Amino acid sequence: MTNFIIALILGLFFGLTLQKAGLTKYHKIVNVFRLTDFAVLKFMMTALIVSMTGLYSLKWMGVITFPNVPATYIAGNLVGGLIFGFGMAISGY
Amino acid sequence: MDWLKEQFKKEEWSPYAAGAMLGVVGILAVVLSNSLLGASGAFENIAGLIGKAVAPAAFDNIYFNFVMPPGITWGVVLLVGVFFGGMLGAKSSGTWKLRTVSDEQWKEIAGKKWWKRWLIAFVGAIILEYGAGIAGGCTSGLAISGGMLLAPAAYLFIAGMFASGIVTAWFVYGRRY
Repeated sequence: MTNFIIALILGLFFGLTLQKAGLTKYHKIVNVFRLTDFAVLKFMMTALIVSMTGLYSLKWMGVITFPNVPATYIAGNLVGGLIFGFGMAISGY
Repeated sequence: MDWLKEQFKKEEWSPYAAGAMLGVVGILAVVLSNSLLGASGAFENIAGLIGKAVAPAAFDNIYFNFVMPPGITWGVVLLVGVFFGGMLGAKSSGTWKLRTVSDEQWKEIAGKKWWKRWLIAFVGAIILEYGAGIAGGCTSGLAISGGMLLAPAAYLFIAGMFASGIVTAWFVYGRRY
């Protein structure tokens, strides 16, 4: 139960950041692919850097162990990404 | 405090500020729940739940039994939060409104017909979800959550996503690219 409450609260902040960064808007998503607005990349890369730094520091201090890392299977990840990008660019989500 | 309130009410934050906040949320997800943020998986959990009830034979396969077991998972609850979080964001800036076609740029390229927007959004979302299913995650679940653990899968996915996204946008926008 506690776990679900945590999920709900983290979800709230997750949705809030997406909305405030403008990523709920069609033009924000499409324009990153048109290379005219890099908000999506700025948002993604900042999130990556912050969480990467935090998690690796915590792991190094022995506070956490990593959850299951998404599996690598080159063709699947790549082909899935290709299909995903197509869907993302036409729908704008 | 007033300054914080003012910032909160802004319609759009700097993507760096919002991204940093998401980064913290990503850390907390691992620390508090040993889970990764993700969105696409939750839809599959729900789809499995409905599928198993409606057509159990069709959903009795490796994918829905083991890879993406149906149920109300951590990710499903997270998604409920995302929905209300987005709403909270729009409410706080006073831009919350029910619309059928919301985007000016969309109207410019595809016109004002609401069904066209809904149809393409629906079809696009199916394709997108399918791609996420094959790859093992979406922008949040694989690209960001996998990327922060330095999973090679995440970076392959990002490469694929941008390659086809750019080509698709190029086709859609033609000379206006």
